[in-house]
Amino acid sequence: MKAEIKLALTMGLLGGVVVFLFGGWSVTVLGILIGVFMGLSIGGRVNKKDGPRKLALQSLSTAGIAAVVFIAVSLFQNYVVAPAGGQFPSELYIVIPANLIGGLGMILFTALTAALHGLPDRQERLGKLILMVVLVIAFPFIDRITGLHWSGQIIFALIFVILGLGLNIVVGFAGLLDFGYAAFFAIGAYTTGILSSPQHHIFMNFWLVIWIALAMAALWGLILGTPTLRLRGDYLAIVTLGCGEMMPIIFRNLTNVTIKEPLTCWIIPGIMRLFNSSAATKCITIIDNLDLTAGEKGINPIGRPYLPFIGEFQSNNPIPWYFLIILLILLSVFLIRRLRDGRLGRAWMACREDQDAAVQMGIDPVHTKLTAFALGAAFSGFAGAFYAAYIRGIFPSVFEFSTSIIVLCIVVLGGMGNINGVILGGIIIMGADRLFLPALKDLLKGLMDHTILPALTSNHTLQAVVAQNANPILYRYLLFGLTLVIMMALRPEGIIPSAQIRAELHADEETSAVEKAVKN
Amino acid sequence: MLELIEVHTYYGNIHALKGVSMTVAEGEIVTVIGSNGAGKSTMLRTIHGILRPKKGTILLEGEALEKLPSHKIVERGISQSPEGRMIFPRMTVQENLEMGAYTRKDKAGIAQDFEWVFKLFPRLKERINQKGGTLSGGEQQMLAIGRAMMAHPRIMLLDEPSMGLSPILVGQIFETIVELNKQGTTILLVEQNARMALSIAHRGYVLQTGEIILHDTSAKLKEDPMVQKSYLGAN
Ligand SMILES: Nc1ncnc2c1ncn2[C@@H]1O[C@H](COP(=O)(O)OP(=O)(O)OP(=O)(O)O)[C@@H](O)[C@H]1O
Ligand SMILES: [Mg+2]
Repeated sequence: MKAEIKLALTMGLLGGVVVFLFGGWSVTVLGILIGVFMGLSIGGRVNKKDGPRKLALQSLSTAGIAAVVFIAVSLFQNYVVAPAGGQFPSELYIVIPANLIGGLGMILFTALTAALHGLPDRQERLGKLILMVVLVIAFPFIDRITGLHWSGQIIFALIFVILGLGLNIVVGFAGLLDFGYAAFFAIGAYTTGILSSPQHHIFMNFWLVIWIALAMAALWGLILGTPTLRLRGDYLAIVTLGCGEMMPIIFRNLTNVTIKEPLTCWIIPGIMRLFNSSAATKCITIIDNLDLTAGEKGINPIGRPYLPFIGEFQSNNPIPWYFLIILLILLSVFLIRRLRDGRLGRAWMACREDQDAAVQMGIDPVHTKLTAFALGAAFSGFAGAFYAAYIRGIFPSVFEFSTSIIVLCIVVLGGMGNINGVILGGIIIMGADRLFLPALKDLLKGLMDHTILPALTSNHTLQAVVAQNANPILYRYLLFGLTLVIMMALRPEGIIPSAQIRAELHADEETSAVEKAVKN
Repeated sequence: MLELIEVHTYYGNIHALKGVSMTVAEGEIVTVIGSNGAGKSTMLRTIHGILRPKKGTILLEGEALEKLPSHKIVERGISQSPEGRMIFPRMTVQENLEMGAYTRKDKAGIAQDFEWVFKLFPRLKERINQKGGTLSGGEQQMLAIGRAMMAHPRIMLLDEPSMGLSPILVGQIFETIVELNKQGTTILLVEQNARMALSIAHRGYVLQTGEIILHDTSAKLKEDPMVQKSYLGAN
């Protein structure tokens, strides 16, 4: 019972925090999402034999408490916080339906999801799948109808989900610490930029380019991996760090590429000089002064995907982009699952656990690690191509070290080695970065201008200090680091860990559990 | 079947094997005894391709092994239960055994070998879903041998299978080795426990600071005064 109240309060407040920032119709969307999430969380400790009806009824109390907390926060936001931030509270004709649907939706979806746990395994899985599909498909439309406009930013989060999935192969499955993953993201994006923009007057079709980007990223994974993967552990981390640092610099400086044919330019003149001949030979230049990447100002505009009936994907309509990235994620998850469960996946895990033992089993460690590196890189090629087309331009600064680190955090926070965990981690971290912080910034600014700063007019220095520092975007990395520290202290295995990593981190507890079992 | 000719192995400039020559014939149990640091584990690692000999040849039925990478050697039919067991600690017993069969593709054969392992080590079957790292020392040793069996090797290299085990378990493990041998696996056994090793082996080699100083049938070695004095603890 206590656990249920705790869950209800956590979930109610969690949803509340988001509603607190966004107001308006967000209460409806969040209510439903939190409901599903709560239903899933309850699933961990139910008795399957109770059957769907009983489980649904049981969940009602939890859902009810959560919904009350949630609605309370929502109303507080609307009638206290919004006016304090200088906004008018939403009209009743929005407040009533939004909160009503949000609260009831939370209860309904909690019960519905909880009930699924009472079904036989196969039906339970099918039910959850259908629920997920419906939510994922409905999201962008609800987002548009309610005027929340989250889709555009969610798409960014989903790009990082693909990056996380790719890096998870390297870090989570094969246990190779890679600090330079953004390098492959950059290669995917620049391949797309170079092959479909006015930069070189090449306008290849996006549906073709995305595969070329994938292949290029994988190829560079092989090229960079071959010399480095003989190293172990810490050394590998340092080398990947170096590669990651180099990549933006290289793209910044590939503005003046000249390739000369060596035979005619150096070898023959060299021989001539040996014989003191002054006969001039003609040097054949293959590429002369080519501006490959346009340096700091980047490549744009980059070509976009085109589909019959939909036409070219546009900036002002996120829906086609949303479904495209969802499709890419589904494809990635499908492929990565197949890899994980196959022979290669087992070799990755064995190398992660104990490379020397893996060698004794007949595993070729270099080949195994190289495939992890190259396949991991390949998925960032997907992400890079999509990214380049979505924002229409690419700039070297996007692919700095911080991007590598964010992707690494997505993998670690989500749960190393666990695909669902990485997806959730990507959405949470990038959602926080792209949606949460800007909203927090607006909220704070409103509060500052209308309530706090006027109250501080007596002390001008304090007023100035507060006004300058009340921007959470400034603290982006601070907050990010803080989250990591807290998370690692409380739940080092990530949000949804893989069974093996959990065993690794809680080895002592497990042993004691075994000991207990033996004693009994 | 397996033949080492003048094998020299180094760790940096430490000369660990100084021209070791030996043979193992099909169907035999051959043991290598020697004191700590004699180079016994080094010899097994060299055969298995984990270390490269600087000089000398290792032949498996006439084919040179010393240039092949480890995984190719496993494919040729040599598997090892290594010193220190090297269990995958976070994998279950079942997953550990599956890793042993990594190079194989014959599903039916693998299933058969699971039965084979479980028949010799019923204890492993009871603990099939337990994590390798949480097994007792003796159980881990069984798992290490079972895992080597899963490769269905022609020659199995066993590095001190009795290490850290109670006398009863040592007896059981040695019985198991004899049983394995009867079922057709050739065995190269490295042991500190020379008495036990010589009691089951057909022939034995004595390794001392990287050199073979003696080899003979087990029966004769047991009678040898030097062996008795240094390795069998007689006075
Ligand atoms: N990785 C290594 N680096 C340097 N020297 C090593 C290494 N491994 C072993 N040696 C040395 O090589 C020699 C032979 O070692 P080895 O492990 O083969 O002995 P052993 O006969 O198996 O001994 P034990 O019975 O104690 O297991 C020893 O002197 C040891 O110190
Ligand atoms: Mg040894």
